[in-house]
Amino acid sequence: MTIIAFSLDHMRTTLLRTLLSGFWCLLAMVVNAQVKHTISGYVKDSRTGETLIGANVFLENDATTGTVTNTYGFFSITLPEGPQLLVFSYLGYQSRIEPLILNANINLNIGMDKGIAMQEVVVSAAGEEEDENVQSTSMGRVTLPMEQIKVLPALLGEVDVLKTLQLLPGVSSAGEGSSGFYVRGGGADQNLVLLDEAVVYNSGHFLGFFSVFNADAIKNTTLIKGGIPAVYGGRLSSVLDIQMKEGNNQQFEGEGGIGLISSRLTLEGPIVKDKSSFLISGRRTYGFDLAQPLIRQTDFAGTNYFFYDLNAKINYQFSQKDRLYLSGYFGRDVLTLAQPGRDFGFKLPYGNATTTLRWNHLFNDKLFFNLSAIYNDYQFRAGFKQEEFSFDVFSGVRDFSAKFDFDYFPSNEHQIKTGLHATQHRLTPNVITGNAGDVEFENTAVAKYGNEYALYIQDDWKISSWFRVNLGLRATMFQQVGPYTSSITGETYNNGEVVTTYNSMEPRLFVNTALHPNASLKAGVTATTQYLHLVSNSSSTLPADVWVPSSELVKPQRGWQYAAGYFQNIRKNEYEASVEVYYKSLRDQIDYRESYVDNSVDQVETEFVFGDGKAYGLEFLLRKNKGALNGWIGYTLSRTDRTFPDIENGRTYPTTYDRTHDLSIVTNYNLTNKLIAGFVFVYATGKSYTPPERVYLIDGELQTDYGPRNSQRLEPYHRMDISLTYIPNPTSTKNFTSEWVFSIYNVYNRQNTFFLYTDYETDLQSGTAEVKAYKVSIFPILPSITWNFKFK
Amino acid sequence: MKINIQFLTLGLFLLLFSSCEEEFTPNPSGDGPKYVVEGYIEAGEDAFIPYLLLTRTFDFYGEISPDQFTESFVHDADVRVSDGSIEVVFQEICFSELDSAIREQVAEQFGFDPDSLTIDFCVYLDLLNQLQPQEGKTYDLRINAGGDLITASTHIPIHVPLERITFKPPPGEPNDSLAQMVCFIADPPGEKNFYRYLVATNEGTLETGFSSVEEDLFFDGLIFEFQLLNPKTSSGDVEPQEFGLYFVGDTITVKWSSIDEANFDFWNTLEFSNANQGPFSSYTRLESNITGGLGIWGGYSVSHYTQVVTY
Repeated sequence: MTIIAFSLDHMRTTLLRTLLSGFWCLLAMVVNAQVKHTISGYVKDSRTGETLIGANVFLENDATTGTVTNTYGFFSITLPEGPQLLVFSYLGYQSRIEPLILNANINLNIGMDKGIAMQEVVVSAAGEEEDENVQSTSMGRVTLPMEQIKVLPALLGEVDVLKTLQLLPGVSSAGEGSSGFYVRGGGADQNLVLLDEAVVYNSGHFLGFFSVFNADAIKNTTLIKGGIPAVYGGRLSSVLDIQMKEGNNQQFEGEGGIGLISSRLTLEGPIVKDKSSFLISGRRTYGFDLAQPLIRQTDFAGTNYFFYDLNAKINYQFSQKDRLYLSGYFGRDVLTLAQPGRDFGFKLPYGNATTTLRWNHLFNDKLFFNLSAIYNDYQFRAGFKQEEFSFDVFSGVRDFSAKFDFDYFPSNEHQIKTGLHATQHRLTPNVITGNAGDVEFENTAVAKYGNEYALYIQDDWKISSWFRVNLGLRATMFQQVGPYTSSITGETYNNGEVVTTYNSMEPRLFVNTALHPNASLKAGVTATTQYLHLVSNSSSTLPADVWVPSSELVKPQRGWQYAAGYFQNIRKNEYEASVEVYYKSLRDQIDYRESYVDNSVDQVETEFVFGDGKAYGLEFLLRKNKGALNGWIGYTLSRTDRTFPDIENGRTYPTTYDRTHDLSIVTNYNLTNKLIAGFVFVYATGKSYTPPERVYLIDGELQTDYGPRNSQRLEPYHRMDISLTYIPNPTSTKNFTSEWVFSIYNVYNRQNTFFLYTDYETDLQSGTAEVKAYKVSIFPILPSITWNFKFK
Repeated sequence: MKINIQFLTLGLFLLLFSSCEEEFTPNPSGDGPKYVVEGYIEAGEDAFIPYLLLTRTFDFYGEISPDQFTESFVHDADVRVSDGSIEVVFQEICFSELDSAIREQVAEQFGFDPDSLTIDFCVYLDLLNQLQPQEGKTYDLRINAGGDLITASTHIPIHVPLERITFKPPPGEPNDSLAQMVCFIADPPGEKNFYRYLVATNEGTLETGFSSVEEDLFFDGLIFEFQLLNPKTSSGDVEPQEFGLYFVGDTITVKWSSIDEANFDFWNTLEFSNANQGPFSSYTRLESNITGGLGIWGGYSVSHYTQVVTY
């Protein structure tokens, strides 16, 4: 083991040196780059003016000479002087070929039209000539178009981006119906979830059964589960990058829907045509509101529950070189329990608020700059009151962030990204205040503060027509700062005074070797460091779980991921196939100590124990991108475990989300131009659990003695869902159109176990006892119907 | 004051989704039974003599019979308790060996009907109360059971009594047959204090509710007012409007104890484990101070308060 550890350390050191040397060579090459003409601009949806992220731009006669649009739809490509045919292609859009006579730098904004068949789902990421998924250096990266997500079956009709992501290989669900997800053996807190660059600290409503992302407000969803580029950091396992729509800058329009759980309404339109637009989108549940007349007749009058989301965004284009975006999200779950007859009241509101202000500036046609100022705030509150006794609990995370990002396109061989990110964190643990009669009480928990910095550079470098490399380095620093009083030394730190500092150098290296125009081998190494941690004592994360920073008590989590894969496109990109293997090593993982009880201790960190983890697996993906029938089959063979010296004396155990086998079949089929059928089948090895092995008497009642952690498994999980989308008038040009979505969750009524519990009946007088355990399933066959509409 | 969001949301959850449950049996461990100690050593007024039960665990299966219960008691163990100056060997006494008068007294103490009791309970106890437990002392337990060694240690803390107990009308809508009990305590400042309470109604047996222990995390050094829930109305099937309340006219006895941290941790994990079953719960391993087995060897400094429920 020592030799292996030494080899890994040596390998990491060598890798760092190689990267630094690589950047030096790269700069020299950039300086010597030959002069050509540059075509730059934005790719947009011609109807709405929405910029298109990840659109392909390449030469018609040489698909290997090309680029993709960045997060803001911007591209820059440098080509030799003379006539050129430039191809633009994008998910679900008709490819467009632009003939150009290139004798000077050109500014070119391209509008693209959606596929001819309006409702046909065209998933292709490229035209027939282009194989972006094969040619790029990116690994473990999946972009899911909203059009496809919307026609798949959904639990209770609620379209959910996160649940669709769980159907991809390498991504597993936190549990039946849950929007929580685990990526390649990483914990739930190890996913960086971004909404317009703002971190979303709790992405679930209603205990995680529904995600906070309103599908109507989302433009683009990208999950990076493997090769995380240097531009991203702060989490060990994955990046889920979600961009909100900007709003139609051509004409006013709206869309919405009425479902069993919630209703939605989205309005968007130009403020100044072609220059400025807005979008506002809301969603709210109403089941308990409708039940209020009944609830008022009971002892629990005043009891209610609802959640809502509000997304808003405006943008303004000052010039071809300057754009401003302001976007925000505000969502809340509100649970109110009341029992007026006992003067009892309990209120539990929680949710996220984010605001992102972005300024895009083009220094020149090769240098794109973005400045983002981001505010996000996750708050959890619980208030209890009965007569003269009351208490309130508050916890949360509040961040202020600034990001300076540059995209530099010096030549077609290089695409360089560099930037600086700085975030000020305030993390409030469970702060409790209360009154018992005239006496006020409180715990001594106080907020902790931290500053996080990251400096990164990465280059996507086409070394030859068959070999590409993406070199990246991310240097990060985290400082725990005052006000703070050390629980170790007793020393007091003033506002902003540094308590502890952690640094990390995170190399990222991905290589692509083309074996054939339609096939490639890729490999990558990703180092990541995580300074904020969410530790849960539950089988899934809950809104009451508290985020804590790295501090003098808690080290940063660190991870290395090694991955390799074979990628092939078949039949002119009609099919994509890939096989990826990965090995992930995780250090300084965090869990609660055994026998932890949620007693609202002042410093929850004192309840933590630390250990290591590893995960490895093999992923297969076959995806059909074109035609009336499309979708994918994904299969994962994997293993995930943890070893904590303070848990069962260091016995290695599988995590609860360890799945040996995980299979997903996802398809949709255009039956006619009015009917689209959706189908999902999932199969996964049963969850591991800690079995009750013995019982014993204490104080006349039976208690449980549990066996080793996660040493047994539930029966396998499997389920089939179907949906049918009916569009009465698919070719209608009327101002108002609508569609119906019928969905059935768990078609064959599989009783998948959601949780276990034990039940003991003891009668010492008669000397008998019954010892039973039950498994509970929650979602039987569940049909749903949703009516969606659009107007303009 | 434990915040159990899971518990609160479970009801809401079940309202929304119909659930289906099915009995199942986990695979047996095959590792054999473990020793279980349940021992008490008390100081203070009306303290009970030190005693302990030594049993073995049962495998996790469907039904346990009276014979299995009786067989679970470990006999002929060498049980010794030392306070550092004297060591006392506990005597094993089984219910079946007692004469009828003592049997009735013991049965009454533990709430059994002596005539229909089918389990032959056996305890090890300091029959002559030679230890004379005192506050501030530590008591080490050493058991040799057929060559297996089981040890534990507990501390009896200095007692912090209740200042007073009062009753007042229930919250919310008037109901003159119910009352809530309010207690006052002057918690010593600057030290961790842990408490446990039991309640007997109308001279019945002492009982605990779903939460019998508390620490002074929120009221260290304060003269603090708090409610003590009635165990009879705070567990099992109770009317919601009666939850935790007492019935006017009853005579109740509160046994109030100061305990050490290990004793608190055991009961705290036990009660948390019992209350914390549900869709999002993880298992809770009971935190025991027994080496070589499961259970608790707990020291208590106790006081008793008897009052008629009235206001």
